[in-house]
Amino acid sequence: MGIVVKILRTIFLVLLGLFFFVPLLAMARFAFQSVPVVLLTPEKLLEGWSLAGLFEVFGNPEFQRATLISLQLMVLAILITLVLLLPVAALVEIRAPQLRTAMTAITLLPWVVPPVALVVGVAATFRSTVPWFLASPYSLVPFYVLWALPFSYRALDAGLRSIGARTLYEAARVMGASTFTIIVRVIIPNMIGAIIAASVLTAALVLGEFAFAALLLKETLPTFMAEFQRSEPRAGMALALSVMLLTALIIWIGVRALRKRGMDLQAAGV
Amino acid sequence: MRRRFDTATVVVAVPFLAFVGLFLFVPTIGLAIKAFTPGGSFGFSAMQRALEGTYRTAFINSLSLAVTSSLLGGVLGLLLALSLKSLTRPKWLRSTTDSWSAVAAQLGGIPLAFAFIAAIGTQGLITKLLSLVGVDIADSGFSLSEFWGLVVVYLYFQIPLMFLVMMPAVGGLKSTWGEAAAIMGSSPGRYWRSVALPLLVPSFLGGLLLLFVNSFAAYATAYVLNPGAQLVPLQIRFLLQGNVITGEQDLAYAIVLWTISLLLISLLLIAVLQRRTAKWASS
Repeated sequence: MGIVVKILRTIFLVLLGLFFFVPLLAMARFAFQSVPVVLLTPEKLLEGWSLAGLFEVFGNPEFQRATLISLQLMVLAILITLVLLLPVAALVEIRAPQLRTAMTAITLLPWVVPPVALVVGVAATFRSTVPWFLASPYSLVPFYVLWALPFSYRALDAGLRSIGARTLYEAARVMGASTFTIIVRVIIPNMIGAIIAASVLTAALVLGEFAFAALLLKETLPTFMAEFQRSEPRAGMALALSVMLLTALIIWIGVRALRKRGMDLQAAGV
Repeated sequence: MRRRFDTATVVVAVPFLAFVGLFLFVPTIGLAIKAFTPGGSFGFSAMQRALEGTYRTAFINSLSLAVTSSLLGGVLGLLLALSLKSLTRPKWLRSTTDSWSAVAAQLGGIPLAFAFIAAIGTQGLITKLLSLVGVDIADSGFSLSEFWGLVVVYLYFQIPLMFLVMMPAVGGLKSTWGEAAAIMGSSPGRYWRSVALPLLVPSFLGGLLLLFVNSFAAYATAYVLNPGAQLVPLQIRFLLQGNVITGEQDLAYAIVLWTISLLLISLLLIAVLQRRTAKWASS
């Protein structure tokens, strides 16, 4: 490879690295340094750093309420995903592999109806028939399960295939175990990595979803964040950065859980 | 081979399908019916009006934004994958980029918009740094709330997504092929034209469509940067929250139905491309 190409490649990689890193750095500075950017001079670079903004958010009762709701939505979405999806994924893989194409297609459909689109349909159908359902913040849960499907199903499916679920099933079957026993005592313990990945990807989605919650006027962590930043720019920025880093950490845990077993997640969901 | 499905599969599949049916199909079909029955009787007027005037502008803007950010993100993501393939040192770079891309492809929404405001907004850190060396971002006509501003922010998740899509295909290019081509007297240009590119094109096109689907209906980032932008997702918000003037609701249904159709077509094209690739790879 020519030296020119090598230099160009290095410049490209450095620029791209800056593009990804600098916004986070700027965010951290804005959040944790109490020096307005107009007054910032080289001498003042190390002045006025503190975590006060973040602590200010933690004490905010509205923040606590919104966070509690988001955490509850997260736990419920993960539980429903595992209870509803895991058995189907497992049985399709071990007893009805001819249905795999259908499952792949069904679990991709939520991509076609993004939150900002489905919210209109939900308002049109559920508001007139079951108004009590949309009144509760927990009504968000099934939809979050739905949008996580392209990721959660692929994570579980990758797990099932990498452990050779069908072989395990047949071996346990020959030894006289029931299907239920096999799934609970053989399949699930062997695919904990994939289960963690499916869970954390669902969690990341719940922590980030804004459109659906905002348009249904529900207060979750993301909708609180958008409102809060308007009145408290610094504290709001601190909160946004923390949520971003937390989400990054959560996804990273998921990716690691999969890669440890030599699996990879097509983040695209395709 | 078993033809009938066994009881256990049916028992677990029925609740799952009922769930998807109730929360995805019922609202979508309900919406489609309403889009075609404006004012209570069957007709195409709402579907037609959804593509006129300001809504037409919104569709054109959203399409340009999605296409531009997909093309740029696609090319840069592909270049990133190619750069890392030929790079063996430092070792950590490859694994860091892998993990970071998996994370960044999912980042978006509210915090991402804030990050760019802190960096290149009117009071941003980079804006300030550049003004010290005499470059005025605002004077150059660049604004985060305008088209190119949104493109730059979208690139933050589009580039890593394309990188993830292209990595397997780029990794599949064996260095021995390049050597074989060279031994047979072909130039590097000829190798790229005749061997490497044809191999990468299907994944690249599929990736572009995926990036398009990913960005067309993105809401949160655009909402923070410019809530009044003439973009389809923000127009939907406007119609949904606006006064209930007769016919306005029908318009929202129609706009959403057009959006869903567009995304569905993109996803079907992705599926077709993938089948092609799979067939080619196995033959």
